[in-house]
Amino acid sequence: MTSDIQPLPPYQELDHTADLALLVRGADLEALLRHAALGMYHLMGADIPPAGPGIRQRVVLSAMDAEDLLVDWLGELAFWAESRQLIFRAFTFHDLSPGHLTATLQGGRVGHLEKHIKAVTFHNLRIVDTPQGLETTIVFDV
Amino acid sequence: MTGPVELEHLDTYTYQIPRSHRADMRVPARFYADPELLEGLLQDRSLAQLINTATLPGAVGYALAMPDIHQGYGFPIGGVLATAAPEGIISPGGVGYDINCGVRLLGSHLSRDEIQPHLDRLASALQARCPSGVGQGGDIRLKKGELEEVLAQGSRWALRRGYATAADLDHTEEGGRLSGADPARVSERALERGRGQIGTLGAGNHFIEVDAVDAIFEPDTAQRLGLRENGLVVQIHCGSRGLGHQVCSDYVKRFQKSLARFGYHLPDRELVCAPLDSAEGLDYLAAMNAAANFAFANRQVLTHLIRQCFETALAGRLRRFELFQIYDIAHNMAKLETHTVEGRERLLCVHRKGATRAFGPGRPEVPEAYRAVGQPVLVPGSMGTASWVLTGTATAMQETFGSTCHGAGRQMSRSLAKKRHRGPGVREALERMGIAVRAGSMAGLAEEAPQAYKDVDRVVEVVHGAGLARKVARLVPLAVVKG
Repeated sequence: MTSDIQPLPPYQELDHTADLALLVRGADLEALLRHAALGMYHLMGADIPPAGPGIRQRVVLSAMDAEDLLVDWLGELAFWAESRQLIFRAFTFHDLSPGHLTATLQGGRVGHLEKHIKAVTFHNLRIVDTPQGLETTIVFDV
Repeated sequence: MTGPVELEHLDTYTYQIPRSHRADMRVPARFYADPELLEGLLQDRSLAQLINTATLPGAVGYALAMPDIHQGYGFPIGGVLATAAPEGIISPGGVGYDINCGVRLLGSHLSRDEIQPHLDRLASALQARCPSGVGQGGDIRLKKGELEEVLAQGSRWALRRGYATAADLDHTEEGGRLSGADPARVSERALERGRGQIGTLGAGNHFIEVDAVDAIFEPDTAQRLGLRENGLVVQIHCGSRGLGHQVCSDYVKRFQKSLARFGYHLPDRELVCAPLDSAEGLDYLAAMNAAANFAFANRQVLTHLIRQCFETALAGRLRRFELFQIYDIAHNMAKLETHTVEGRERLLCVHRKGATRAFGPGRPEVPEAYRAVGQPVLVPGSMGTASWVLTGTATAMQETFGSTCHGAGRQMSRSLAKKRHRGPGVREALERMGIAVRAGSMAGLAEEAPQAYKDVDRVVEVVHGAGLARKVARLVPLAVVKG
């Protein structure tokens, strides 16, 4: 017997008059960060580089809470995308708490990005605990 | 949707949400619209965001919004908030990430008929010479320490490097340089993002547009500005690129940490702010001014590149193809200005996020050449529709801290625009109208379809009718270069 219940998508774009908004879900903070990264890359129109040795980048972030960490995390990825056309496909979190993150990222350069993310905003940003896990809506300035 | 709002209709174009609407409002919220624009802005969260700005500490008079208001993040786009200086707040979110995003208008001695046979060549030259697109760097290589000079000197740096004339600077808001800019308050990452981006357009809604003057409403003022019917002009719309985006991000983060210390309780974290006279506030002001100077210099270098394109495309074919600067104005900025409030001169920090300064006749900040008629206001429309040249008024000084609209204002989300329109279709429709289009991204072109924006003529009728600016000239597009 198959279930009619479909799993909720890890991210989905929401309507926003001027900018871009993304609803992101994850079983825990690590999954939320991972899905938020993939969702942002989707908004950028970035092709995820194929598996391979590629480029490795270590990231260390400190934040005052989980929302601050999420903004920093996506801001870091948007920086590498803008300045080096660098898109990551694999994220290994060595240390993760709402106030701190140490991770190694693996990815490669892409030729073209369709959309420029100027910044990740704090607009109405709140990570909420739901029966299915964590959920949040992020607004990007584009 | 904003939800039920208590609206007072004060006169034809003026609406007010009283302070009693929500317990945390410190001042009433006031906005300008006609019935159709009002219906549109009730469809998103514009007014909820405007009400939120009315809660900020030190707010003076009203939280204001212009008729091009639409939903943004934190402040609405089209929002204006004046706070008491120095004890009131300054908010990076009240300026936005693209610090000193603005518009520059260049005039010429050419006419619409003269340029027509050369338009395609000119559009291609502009696209080839003026770098655009995501993260795109430019040809200008800055020497060590030179970026800091750009941040401190703005367009004066460009003048020294041969990218500007003295007349260009005379016809730029603040002479193209804000004093009080401190490069030391700008982070290493912001410097890194900006280093290769001087003289670049960027992506999104930024553009270079060749226009013709379609109609003149005030002949004497138009003549003073160098505008004549069927004359050719050029608009540039862009800002401080990655450098400005990073300055805003850095200070929004830093201010989060000090909120509790200042005892602020805000309805939205993006409204984060600090007292202007605190270390945080002063540092942000100095960094914001530095980013604003970068934006002035950026538009100035683009002006230099556009002049080169005119020479490349037109030399030997047309005479008198030189371009002169009419004006350059910011529409994302917080500035310390003196205004008369209840009969008293007060120093205020006026945040304009998607709103344009519109100082009336006689103000010393307006260039001498224009002081008798008021400051030029540049209001770009969407691709395929009109743009406007207006002048500031005494009424704007009294009612809106010398502010007016900045554009048409979006009315359709980017995702819906992409569902309804395709880039090639948008380009074909524009070309059928006789507009030469050069775009780096077809998806971007679809997002910027003219139908995604409000009717700019209607927006301008409201600010003209409300006395917040006067109509001088209407422009129509001949060629558009998008990032």
